[in-house]
Amino acid sequence: MNPWIAIGALAVMGVGIPLGMMAVSAILRPSVPEQGKSAIYESGEIPTGTTRIRFNIQYYMVALLFVIFDIETVLIFPWTVIYRSALESGVGLGKVLFPMLLFIGILTMPLVWAWRNGAVEWVKSPRATSRKVEGES
Amino acid sequence: MSLPSVTATLLQSGGALPEWTALAPTLALALTALALLLVDSISPETKNNALLAGTTAVGSFVSLAFSGWYLAAGTGQSGTGGEIVLYGEALVVDGMYLFFSAIFASVAAMVAIASYDYLAGKEYQGEFYALTMLAATGMTLMASANSLASAFVALELASLPSYALVAFLKKNKGSVEAGLKYFLIGALSSAIFVFGISLVYAVTGSLLFSDVAEALGETELVGVAGVGVLMIAGGFAFKTASVPFHFWAPEAYEGAPAPISGFLSSASKAAGFAVAFRVFVEAFSLSAIPEGINWVILFQILAVVTMTLGNFAAATQDTVKRMLAYSSIGQAGYVLIGLAALAGGASSQNGDVMGAAMAHLFVYGFMNTGAFLFIALTEHWGIGRTFEDFNGLASKAPMACAAMALFMFSLAGLPVGGGFFSKYFLFANAVFAGFWWLAALGAINSALSLFYYSRVVKAMWIEDATSEFEIRSKPVGLYAGIMIAAVGTFLLLPAFGPIIETAQTAASALFGA
Repeated sequence: MNPWIAIGALAVMGVGIPLGMMAVSAILRPSVPEQGKSAIYESGEIPTGTTRIRFNIQYYMVALLFVIFDIETVLIFPWTVIYRSALESGVGLGKVLFPMLLFIGILTMPLVWAWRNGAVEWVKSPRATSRKVEGES
Repeated sequence: MSLPSVTATLLQSGGALPEWTALAPTLALALTALALLLVDSISPETKNNALLAGTTAVGSFVSLAFSGWYLAAGTGQSGTGGEIVLYGEALVVDGMYLFFSAIFASVAAMVAIASYDYLAGKEYQGEFYALTMLAATGMTLMASANSLASAFVALELASLPSYALVAFLKKNKGSVEAGLKYFLIGALSSAIFVFGISLVYAVTGSLLFSDVAEALGETELVGVAGVGVLMIAGGFAFKTASVPFHFWAPEAYEGAPAPISGFLSSASKAAGFAVAFRVFVEAFSLSAIPEGINWVILFQILAVVTMTLGNFAAATQDTVKRMLAYSSIGQAGYVLIGLAALAGGASSQNGDVMGAAMAHLFVYGFMNTGAFLFIALTEHWGIGRTFEDFNGLASKAPMACAAMALFMFSLAGLPVGGGFFSKYFLFANAVFAGFWWLAALGAINSALSLFYYSRVVKAMWIEDATSEFEIRSKPVGLYAGIMIAAVGTFLLLPAFGPIIETAQTAASALFGA
């Protein structure tokens, strides 16, 4: 038997069961429209404002910095695994440690630059500031 | 007592210097970029343009000196043990890498010196120079890439700073629009390029140029390989501003700060050609590639269409900067002859015609950068953009206008600058290689180009001024940049011999492998 038949059967079941459950419950349940049901769910809080607000562009800078160092971690990880055994088999410290220090150093340089140029400095949102002023007065 | 040349030939192969120092032209540019970031970290708001431009220029000159020294000493060339392969064959140092590094470093130096005035009083100066140096680093790496992976990464390293530099004038609508267009077309062509790489990898099972060539010779998947080669050619067409990916060039060059236009149209274009030459000669070598994939015909079509379209479009422009942008597309068409006039088998003509194309790029680096720096000067003075706005400018600024006339005539191929010999050798070698019709079309286009180049000269020197110019100052940096370019363009006329010899030796070494 073709092994793909089993996968096809699984796909049919996987799509069919949820669709069937939704169809059956739609037929059985009474329809009670209510305002609370269609409101935005904010973990029990009363929703304020719409979703169409401006996000601070700084999220993007932080994400960018994160990606760089995320990938750095991926590259450091295999190095840590071979580090000790490389030293034990007689490869010099200059060849094992120095290139990685250089690599991290090169990545640190732009981080320092970004820090100094205010990439991780949190700008106060104008909306929050104005609300605070209103509250005080 | 040993002669200097004898000790020098043993630089890397004899152990006088460790092998990685062969990459010194690249390392100098990369260290300059880091140093500029350091300066900008210590004082982020700095307007100390002299320090920043000076650092950039010094770094570029150091890189240029390394290239010149290694070229003279024979690093990576056939005389001293051949090319130096580094980092698991990802990078290679040979005559071609050093030759192109010299182009990038000299253009970067001129751009840095001219930007001293152009950027005066503007924000984010440190970033400007750091990005320029990072792009130059990427370009030198493109010239040394020995695998498709490092070629792609180097291409991105050169491209990403370029997008930011084109959009550098944040408050200027034209600059931002140009940056966005450049970025979108760049992203599209990068995607096509990397897709092509994946297809070639699927066929050959390797990214190293030599392995790709070997595997292509025995492959049965000619169709897939052919599509891959075509897509990779598309990626290079973007970088060199050739048809069909030339649309970004007029917009980007017109909107970008003028020194950056010069940098992109000279150095970035040369970098595209550097990596294209190496990929097509080494990875898709004519002697190994299957019969069905004849990329020479592709480049013949591209060369003819690019030079004709560029020249005709340039002839109809009203603004000088846009005319220069289209003319740079036309010039890319001439250089494409270096890939179009190749023949299979071990013909010595192949190296000669490609070397002539490289020498043309070298001269072009000076004359075209100079022309854009002159535009930067007129922008600095606040003179308009059209040909008419330049009327009678020579009476106010004779020195700069004389230099501009030199650039224009040299670009057209008149014997006042190195452009004459570089075009002559390019067309002559195409004829020797048996492609007389390519040379004839090039010569016809070249004659047409004289029309629009001389329009600038006529406006500056012959026409009377229609309005008063308000030239308040003679900016030192811009003048210095223009004069370096002018002296370089002029001196390359008598000194063209060594350039063409170096270029043809480097190109022949590529074919000789």
